[in-house]
Amino acid sequence: MTYLFQILNGVGLGMLYFLLAVGLSIIFGLLQFVNFAHGAFYLLGAYLAYEMVERGASFWAALPLAALAVGLLAGLTEAVLLRRIYKQPHTFHILVTVGLALVVQEFVIIVWGPIGGNLPAPEALSGVVILGDFVYPEYRLFVIVFTAALAAALWWLLESTRLGAIVRAGSESPENMALLGYDTLRINTAVFALGAGLAGLAGALAAPIRGVEPFMGVEALSIAFVVVVIGGMGSYAGALAAGLVVGIAQSLMATLWPEGARLVIYLGMAGIIVAMPRGLFGRA
Amino acid sequence: MIRILDRPLLHFGLAAATVLALPLLLRSGTLASEILIYALAVAACNLLLGYTGLLSFGQGIFFGLGSYVAGLLLLRTPLPVPAMLIVALLAGAATAAAVGWLSIRRQGVYFVMLTLAFSQMFYFLAYTFSGLTGGDNGLLDVPRPALAGVPLSDPWSYYAYVAVLFLGLFAALQRVALSTFGRTLLAIRDNEARARAIGFPVRAFKVAAFAISGAVTAVAGALHAMLIGVAPLSNIEYHTSETLLIMTIIGGSANLFASVLGAAAYLVAGDLLSAIWPRWLLLLGLILIVIALFLQRGLWGLIERATALVSRRPVSEDSAPDRPALPAEEPQP
Repeated sequence: MTYLFQILNGVGLGMLYFLLAVGLSIIFGLLQFVNFAHGAFYLLGAYLAYEMVERGASFWAALPLAALAVGLLAGLTEAVLLRRIYKQPHTFHILVTVGLALVVQEFVIIVWGPIGGNLPAPEALSGVVILGDFVYPEYRLFVIVFTAALAAALWWLLESTRLGAIVRAGSESPENMALLGYDTLRINTAVFALGAGLAGLAGALAAPIRGVEPFMGVEALSIAFVVVVIGGMGSYAGALAAGLVVGIAQSLMATLWPEGARLVIYLGMAGIIVAMPRGLFGRA
Repeated sequence: MIRILDRPLLHFGLAAATVLALPLLLRSGTLASEILIYALAVAACNLLLGYTGLLSFGQGIFFGLGSYVAGLLLLRTPLPVPAMLIVALLAGAATAAAVGWLSIRRQGVYFVMLTLAFSQMFYFLAYTFSGLTGGDNGLLDVPRPALAGVPLSDPWSYYAYVAVLFLGLFAALQRVALSTFGRTLLAIRDNEARARAIGFPVRAFKVAAFAISGAVTAVAGALHAMLIGVAPLSNIEYHTSETLLIMTIIGGSANLFASVLGAAAYLVAGDLLSAIWPRWLLLLGLILIVIALFLQRGLWGLIERATALVSRRPVSEDSAPDRPALPAEEPQP
């Protein structure tokens, strides 16, 4: 029964990892841009939600507002700074976004201090659900349901809407899209903002579970990379499957071998790379 | 024709001049030693980035490994320092060969992400097996034994020891870069498909580059543990990998002395700024953005521009064979 509990925990964790990784993946797919600042957007989302709730806002308002604010800020950064270096080698993409991540992290420490804090789960979800033999926190259940709905919406957005078609076509051939008269600059900004906003949302959703602290971004970034490496870059299904695998594995390990939980994730990744260099769903 | 600025002898001369100048310019022997130790690790990182076109986020693995080797062997065995350094060198080479072999299975961005993920893996390895590594606390009280009767406990006498090793290993790295092997790495960096078509075992070359880089980095890590008297967990952290890479790019990847420049600039600036403002990393973040936008050849590029201005000759952007520029974009599959 404890295993079932841990698996459920892992699903919640995995869905958060999916949100993180899918943003990174979409941005890379369209822009061929490696965003090392992705963890910083996650960090910022968590702290913005934390600040709003501290100042008396309801969690339900803070959640979308934090994601929106992170998305807007990321869109602005893309339009002012990042688009200048798309044509440069990856080294400079990494340098700029590492710089950006440092700026955000230090900014967070200046404003909120180095210690971190706790964001309580909203009143309505602070209880537990009794499922047969065991109890489960309502908030974690909410995270699973909410992110699942969001994943479905995102799937619909990418597969069945005009924007999704543009994004997918842009990933294949940005030149053709520009020739067809699409304003690729605006599309790039929108997609970057969307991906970063999802990371911000993941941060805000994770805050009541793990608290907020200034170095949560670095950890999130490397987890997102692991998910993308395992799942295959640019693959929605890959991000979902790998996010869940990583989340569930981490949760199960938390009961079996708590100290080694993180280690097992990375060892598993190394194993998958040896067996399947392109990841589970990788095409390229 | 090799321009004066591109001559390897000049670079070695500048490295030697740095070794002599640091005691005159700095009051702290510890900071001076730290600069040389990091300069070694950064030059090793540059062998991968500048000469092979491999942006490795995993250099902290080998640095931290070297620290742990120093800590474990000096604390638990009677092994003398030179023997310990050789063990660190071999351990670094072996680990780097393994990490490199796994990471080069993917190219471009995927490669970068893999090296970062491996650096996390080794961090958690060190964190989990705290019986061996001391976990969060690290290995404390790493001794600095006397060398052939000469005590190294004084910061400047240790500096002298580090300086000798630094110059030796710097010259060795230069030999590697100038050898046929090093030339082949440049060929792989500039056009991997062509190098493979000619018949070079590209993957074996990349793994070898990793091994050499890891070996030197591990020695630097061991020297660092002896310097600060601790083999801390932070030496194997993501942050160390990031710092080494940042120093490499700040210096510029044009030649190995640029790496000495990068390490010195970072550490001296950090030493001065952190005293004034603990959150100086914010400034560093902004500097990185400026470098990416306007100063892509790093501090060495600045020197190139300055000398071009003095000699009134324009800086030619074409890359002579002796002049590793920035790693070429790897083709997207």
